[in-house]
Amino acid sequence: MLKRELNLLWTSSNNPKMSKKNMLNKVLIFDSGSLISLAMNGLFPELKALKEIFNGYFIITEDVKREVLDRPLTIKRFALEALKLRNLYEEKVLQLPKDIGVNNKELDKEIKKIIDVANNTFFEKSKAIQILQSGEISCLALSRILTEKGINNIICIDERTTRVLGEMPKNLEELLRKKLHANITAKKENYDFFKGFRFIRSSELMYVAYKKGLVRVGKSPEVLDALLYAVKFKGCSITHEEIAEINKIG
Amino acid sequence: MHEKEHVLEILRETRNALHKRDVIKLRSLSNETIHSASIYKDTDSIMLAVILYSLGKIIERQNGGKVKGCDEFCKKASLFLEKALASLNANNTKEFSRNLEGIIKSINTLSPELKNYVRDVFEKAKINKASKIYEHGISLGKTAEILGITMWDVANYAGAKGVTDVSLTKTQDVKTRIKLAMDFFK
Repeated sequence: MLKRELNLLWTSSNNPKMSKKNMLNKVLIFDSGSLISLAMNGLFPELKALKEIFNGYFIITEDVKREVLDRPLTIKRFALEALKLRNLYEEKVLQLPKDIGVNNKELDKEIKKIIDVANNTFFEKSKAIQILQSGEISCLALSRILTEKGINNIICIDERTTRVLGEMPKNLEELLRKKLHANITAKKENYDFFKGFRFIRSSELMYVAYKKGLVRVGKSPEVLDALLYAVKFKGCSITHEEIAEINKIG
Repeated sequence: MHEKEHVLEILRETRNALHKRDVIKLRSLSNETIHSASIYKDTDSIMLAVILYSLGKIIERQNGGKVKGCDEFCKKASLFLEKALASLNANNTKEFSRNLEGIIKSINTLSPELKNYVRDVFEKAKINKASKIYEHGISLGKTAEILGITMWDVANYAGAKGVTDVSLTKTQDVKTRIKLAMDFFK
């Protein structure tokens, strides 16, 4: 879908407060992990409140939907969270790429391209290390498609491997080397391929909710610290030092 | 099975560890196995890592005498591991896999109480091993896929254990990322 078509999408939207320009140009793409940390901390009302003030779309890919909604619905331990997510999906707080005119064929093509490079960048001896899986790659693929269409987008992702690959692949190389105690080599010419993605985590998302007074328990330094640690303990890859820095900024 | 010699060595050391009921050694052998599992995604290495970790847990808790029959299960598992060692020595990797699977299948033959207990230990072992693979730099989704568990399990466990609390994962200035998020919501 082109920008012109997205314009039509916006025209049919029923939120008169949003400016046409903003609605067209903003998409926040959610990876599974970020939704999982919000779900596990009961922070969906905050997510919903954020969507209400956001002039754009919150999008999950089909792969992410399978991981956070379809599969956990069949597992008793996570079914309640999945049901809450289903509500968000039904209320169109979370939508699919097709809702913004990105079809599966287009997405699959980009996924294949990225998967080939991502999983053929780091090697142990001559064996390529498969570092990413389809859900994470689908977020990168969607982001790339939207960027090519001139649509402003950010990926909200809590797991670290995808983010480090996008922002500082040499760190991932070092991490693999250090943790696997192996002679890891990297196809460094692939590093540029991952440039251009922009990432936030559920921690930054909750920071925004906090700053905008959308957090139900109030607005105090104690609340901010508690929010950041809550998402950290449910899988958001943020360090203690980073939390301390955010607290200092307040 | 990758790194055959390494696996043989692990199995030999496992034999001693089981004999001495050395829980710490079993855990460390499980961790050694997980290195190659992270690289090769080889199901036998993953299964072996889960089995060794689970046996360690069962022996450790058995000392409290909570669930009867654990000792018999460990003996049975030990016999399967002996057979696995012999088959790998004979380069029979199919038989090696079959013996590892035998341990998992033997859980179904246990009494209902013990079966639930051992299954629970194995499930938790999978999550523990997943967090190790994630710690090694493999993504959360890929890790869950390798172990056949959900991302919900891994995220929860990895978050609580702080496995990503590593300076190498700080890839952007805190202020910059916060500004990016705030600006996006303007």
